[in-house]
Amino acid sequence: MLTPAENERLTRVGPGTPGGNFLRRYWQPACLSSELPENDGTPLRLRLMGEDLIAFRDSEGEVGLVDAYCPHRRAPLFFGRNEDCGLRCVYHGWKFDRHGDCVDMPSEPAGTTLQAKVKLLAYPTVEKGGVVWTYMGPKDRVPPEPDYEWTRIPPSHCHVSKTFENCNWLQGLEGGLDTAHSSFAHNNHLGDNSALRQRDRAPKIDVERTDYGYYYVSTRNMGGEGNYVRVYQYWLPAQQARAATMGWFGGKDDMPRMDGHIWVPIDDATTHVYNWVCSYIQSVPLTPERVHEHEERFGRATDDVIAGTFRLKRNQSNDYMIDRQMQKTQNFTGIVGINTQDFALQEGMGSVVDRSKEFVGTSDKAIVAMRRLLLEAIDVAEKGGEPRGLRPETYRHVRPHDNLVPPDADWREQFREELMAKW
Amino acid sequence: MLTVEENERLTRVGPGTPMGKYLRRFWWPLCLSTELPERDGAPLRVRMMAEDLIAFRDTEGNVGLVDAYCPHRRAPLFFGRNEECGLRCVYHGWKFDRHGDCVDMPSEPAGTTLQAKVKILAYPTVERGGVIWTYMGPKESQPEPPDYEWTRAPATHRYVSKTFENCNWLQAMEGGLDTAHSSFAHNNKLGDRANLRQHDRSPTLEVERTDYGYYYVSTRNVDAGKYHRVYHYVMPAQQLRASIIGYEGVRNKPARLDGHIWAPIDDFTTHVYNIMCAPHPEDELTPQAVETRERAAGRGKDDSIPGTFRLKRNQSNDYMIDRQMQKTQNFTGIVGVNTQDFALQEGMGAICDRSKEFLGTSDKAIVALRRLLLDAVATNEKGGTLRGLDPKTYRSVRAYDRVVTTGESWKTAMAKDLVALW
Repeated sequence: MLTPAENERLTRVGPGTPGGNFLRRYWQPACLSSELPENDGTPLRLRLMGEDLIAFRDSEGEVGLVDAYCPHRRAPLFFGRNEDCGLRCVYHGWKFDRHGDCVDMPSEPAGTTLQAKVKLLAYPTVEKGGVVWTYMGPKDRVPPEPDYEWTRIPPSHCHVSKTFENCNWLQGLEGGLDTAHSSFAHNNHLGDNSALRQRDRAPKIDVERTDYGYYYVSTRNMGGEGNYVRVYQYWLPAQQARAATMGWFGGKDDMPRMDGHIWVPIDDATTHVYNWVCSYIQSVPLTPERVHEHEERFGRATDDVIAGTFRLKRNQSNDYMIDRQMQKTQNFTGIVGINTQDFALQEGMGSVVDRSKEFVGTSDKAIVAMRRLLLEAIDVAEKGGEPRGLRPETYRHVRPHDNLVPPDADWREQFREELMAKW
Repeated sequence: MLTVEENERLTRVGPGTPMGKYLRRFWWPLCLSTELPERDGAPLRVRMMAEDLIAFRDTEGNVGLVDAYCPHRRAPLFFGRNEECGLRCVYHGWKFDRHGDCVDMPSEPAGTTLQAKVKILAYPTVERGGVIWTYMGPKESQPEPPDYEWTRAPATHRYVSKTFENCNWLQAMEGGLDTAHSSFAHNNKLGDRANLRQHDRSPTLEVERTDYGYYYVSTRNVDAGKYHRVYHYVMPAQQLRASIIGYEGVRNKPARLDGHIWAPIDDFTTHVYNIMCAPHPEDELTPQAVETRERAAGRGKDDSIPGTFRLKRNQSNDYMIDRQMQKTQNFTGIVGVNTQDFALQEGMGAICDRSKEFLGTSDKAIVALRRLLLDAVATNEKGGTLRGLDPKTYRSVRAYDRVVTTGESWKTAMAKDLVALW
């Protein structure tokens, strides 16, 4: 449970808010590289943390990210001409390069001094792992570029997708750091209690703080077989990483994976979720068929998405196409798609969940720890300090893991090597 | 650049706001005459400066404009019966004439005194130039009816249309007093430098205040001399310009006087009245000439959503922008001159945040416009004389454009062009 003031502090992301200032200290995904497929192509409308922006890939292939409105008379740059290394407003022809400098002002007399004075708000960008990242914080505090292990994995072994979620980013992230719900919300085989997560539905949670955030360990008692242990990573401010080397019903998965999400606030009330999935081992590439199978299971394969958008067809407006008969006989929710199940629950809490009305239990330990970390980090940022997870050397070498640990064995010993990045 | 307070003062038009009070001192277009085609016909919903109203043409052919809601229990008069010189509410049969008097109250006992007490809000109307005008200000300050030159031209020589625009009136009007953008936004032939407006893309602007507002002259250096365009700003919301010469430098057939009036529906939406008038008797506006011109502007017969004044190319579909066309044919990738304007003006947001802009010398006429309006709002608050209120101040002016080759000043060379003929 949080006070209303704490809840506001954690969830509001606009410019000038404490949470917004904190989030702006990090590189954040702006869009997928594939959304800007060609040099001098169509500019892209983006909204990030309550700011309306335009992204464009210039003639050199570099991505500019600028204010959505021309600084002259605030005409929309979306209609702009992306040409010769800059975006040209179609109202009076003013042109800006990706750094925000005005490089042409043809409606003013030659030799005008105005051109040197006018700047367009521009944020730096970098492309890594199929994602265009941007930094929207103070210019003198740009951190080193993001360097998560998955961003170093070649496209043959890694896939990133993006989904629109109709609620505040934090309740999305909370769902991602909550292993306990998977025994319920993601129980897709009613009556079959052989799944690892059905054999123990009240996992024990241990949280260990690190310089990048924390990892947390969920331990499920498998009786004589030992424990099913999952180690999740939480990289501040908004990224979760988990492993799926074990199959749902035990045994080694034939496609061992690492999965993760980043929750990027569009504004206070909406979020883009970046979903990455990687092969766990270098010798097994992630084929397009495997990617499709994975995305379909999570509810966001091509046919699950409204064409030309990142919105799911199963969404809030149609109650996620819940099938009450299916809910009685086949799965716990009556909803198809693992992350669609998550969206139904997270979006259904309302745009910003009122955390002053909740009751948290022991299975929520990782969520409580995450909020505590975030509140502390917001304080640190406010005092001008450096919050956790800003420096790649703190996180670049770690990865998540899951496995069966024999009775009386220490998971730390068993996992030591597995938790080290391989790429 | 304006302060946030100035921007509010300039853009808000509801009853009781400073700008709303100022604007209500003038006659305003409420609809086209063709929207009320017949006596005792269907009443028309009208929203003006954030007031919901109903217009109806009564049995005598006069137009009434009344509150949209019956004063009895606020039932919608849109469903009313327009009959025998009045509009009868279909809830309890109360009937009002176009002056707002209650002329029948059949649900009350005979001899009721209530009937004499109940009035419906009613505004006076007048029809001129194919437009129905209304005056929504204080009764004692009602000015003479509008008398712009185009309202006196014969129906064969003028044409007025109307378009819905999804933004505040002021950012639309600013586009209308901004000749500089036509070298860019309206460059519909990429790579063709013969075009007069491509010859010189940073025109010199001169602004001269007058008793009706101002005129401004844009001067572009072209091969043959100087290309001058004289625009009028007739307060509070009318622009007049001329298209005597086409983009290629040849006299248009027919030559035209064009203009717009931006009538606020409310703070966030506007009806634009588009005026076309022949400058000389030989420039008759045939139906074909009208359609050619309207289509070029983006509002030909097939360009609007039937039964509305909304364009098919609109904000919801990004004005059907074609990025390939933008690369090879025109500057915007959008078809229709005024559709290009709408993309830019509506795209600024419902009310443009003018505290974040940077103005240049090509914005001189826009700065002058804002200054005049802010002055006028203040003058109105103090009870002073407003520019453009008395028809004598504007009835004889017209806009014109011409290439002056002789080295004369535009004032001398164009003196006769700028006087009304109709």
